[in-house]
Amino acid sequence: MITLKNIEKVYQTKTIETVALHNVNLHIPKGEFVSVMGPSGCGKSTLLNIMGLLDEPTNGIVEIDGKPISRYRDKELAHIRNQKIGFVFQSYHLINDLSVLDNVELPLLYRSGTSASETRHLALTALEKVGLSARTKHYPTQLSGGQRQRVAIARALIGQPELILADEPTGNLDSVMGEEIMNILLTLNRQDGTTIVMVTHDENMAQKTERLIRFFDGQQVSDAKTTAYDFQQV
Amino acid sequence: MIRHLFKLIWNRKRSNFLLITEIFFCFLVLFAVLSLIVYNVRNYNKPLGFEHENVWLLTMRPDTDSTALNRQTLEQIIQRAKGFQEIEHVALTNSNAPFAFSQMNNDLSYGQKKIMADEYLVQDDFDKVMRMQVSHGRWFGEQDNASHHYPIVINKVLQQQLFEGEDPIGKLLPRNDSSSYQVVGVVDHYRPSSEYTAEEPGFFNRIHLPGNKNDFYGELLIRVKPGTGVEFEEKMVKEFSGIGKGWTMEVATLEKMRQNKAKMAKVPMIALAIICGFLILNVALGLFGVLWYNISRRNGEIGLRRALGASANQVYRQFIGEVLVLATFGLVLGVAFAVQFPMLQVFEVESAVYFIALGIAVGLIYLLAIGCAFYPSRQAAAIHPAMALHEE
Ligand SMILES: Nc1ncnc2c1ncn2[C@@H]1O[C@H](COP(=O)(O)OP(=O)(O)OP(=O)(O)O)[C@@H](O)[C@H]1O
Ligand SMILES: [Mg+2]
Repeated sequence: MITLKNIEKVYQTKTIETVALHNVNLHIPKGEFVSVMGPSGCGKSTLLNIMGLLDEPTNGIVEIDGKPISRYRDKELAHIRNQKIGFVFQSYHLINDLSVLDNVELPLLYRSGTSASETRHLALTALEKVGLSARTKHYPTQLSGGQRQRVAIARALIGQPELILADEPTGNLDSVMGEEIMNILLTLNRQDGTTIVMVTHDENMAQKTERLIRFFDGQQVSDAKTTAYDFQQV
Repeated sequence: MIRHLFKLIWNRKRSNFLLITEIFFCFLVLFAVLSLIVYNVRNYNKPLGFEHENVWLLTMRPDTDSTALNRQTLEQIIQRAKGFQEIEHVALTNSNAPFAFSQMNNDLSYGQKKIMADEYLVQDDFDKVMRMQVSHGRWFGEQDNASHHYPIVINKVLQQQLFEGEDPIGKLLPRNDSSSYQVVGVVDHYRPSSEYTAEEPGFFNRIHLPGNKNDFYGELLIRVKPGTGVEFEEKMVKEFSGIGKGWTMEVATLEKMRQNKAKMAKVPMIALAIICGFLILNVALGLFGVLWYNISRRNGEIGLRRALGASANQVYRQFIGEVLVLATFGLVLGVAFAVQFPMLQVFEVESAVYFIALGIAVGLIYLLAIGCAFYPSRQAAAIHPAMALHEE
């Protein structure tokens, strides 16, 4: 699905130079559920941004489905994000002035050829998947944190992306709600075969995924299948 | 996308309320000022109905009250004037000569209709002095001396209002006494008040000196040969003063008088345009500021939209689009208000004036909105998605 080769990311400000990622090599095959862990500031979000084509590496190659993306222009990158990638953020990033339904429909706004009724139908289906059918007319501020994150997930999956990038999706939630979100992601992965890369600080969550990559100071320090992976194989 | 923008603006109507009202008022002021300008410009482009170049107005004020004496002197002056080879034609008029600050009107009635019209008292040579053409019927002449009626020449506006489709020539219109006016001719246009005013219904009434001994006319219109200048003016006034001893005499060119009248129309127009300009500048700065602020406040949203698949160009278009939608909200209110003027005919102004002003105002407001949105929207499009998402 996605391959990173010798990725280097350096943030250059006037006074300091921060190496956020150094010599990162990764291959994430289709259908895998990968978690990324590491201390704060080690480059996890940077990694996700690069995978999500929101940021460019200073050096190295990013390949989506075997094709290096460096050749693409802004418009084409936007198209790939829209078609193939779904994002879930720690702080939800919902638009407060739009209803739940309108928020979920957002990605299809940037996809030509989807009729309004079709979009509505897909949004309702996505909301059903995350168990929020009863809240379509609400506004984000009228929802709990867990509900908001479920809206964000519905928004990520309405376009049926092959890859979901989730940056600490349960970071702002208590353990019960976190559990709910985790179950939705697991279901997505297992039932629809969606590839998921999830950044988390929670060891338990990470252990539920197939593969755990640990980062420290911008570098991969370990990359291994979890025990859950074996469990899934049974 | 457009539906999405309308929804977005509608849901944010509370925070956008101020901007919408600002656009609304800006539009109204623009509409008012443009209406005035369009009205004036349209009038300016219409024919005056006469030629004012090389025409002078001699104003004479006698020093005695004896009409008989003054009349004698006046006739001598006219005789003398006709003797100058520099002078082509002369005609006495009332004080409401072209471009003069004076007006006189009178009611004319025909059948059930009664129209208030401007009345111009003129001598027979007035048409030659002002180079006017009668389009129908004839101008005054000697044949009117024997008439029992008072001959009048009317303008087209009056003809249309009073007679509609009927042929006005020969028609009798009652005067206050038992006598009548009789229409002998029609001129297409006569708009002597100012180049910037609309043509009003008007008619010419004949000054026939032998016919009425009791009236005095102190305004003499003089058409001079082209190129005649101040030297002749001085010579002429000197000679006239020799005839009318003790009389005050003043000469003004109609061109000078036209300029004075034009100034009167232009000054308020320019003043209003300047005030309007400041107002628009104010609105523009406000709009620009709010847009700029909005964009910095909406960094997260911009980052999100980029992540969901919006290209930089789409973000740009969205922000321009939002401002256009905002402007549309303000304009819908404004236009709904503005169309009341032509519909209710608040002032006696052609509807076309309002509609032209309305169109220009709408166009200008949209241009203003795009102008203000251009730079902030480009900034929004340039925002780096990863940074924008990071900042939240
Ligand atoms: N836009 C930026 N400009 C400069 N430095 C940056 C920028 N974004 C991130 N960094 C730096 O890069 C490093 C990695 O940041 P990143 O956000 O990827 O960390 P993280 O692993 O996601 O941390 P956390 O767990 O706190 O979210 C940090 O040292 C950070 O200060
Ligand atoms: Mg992070």
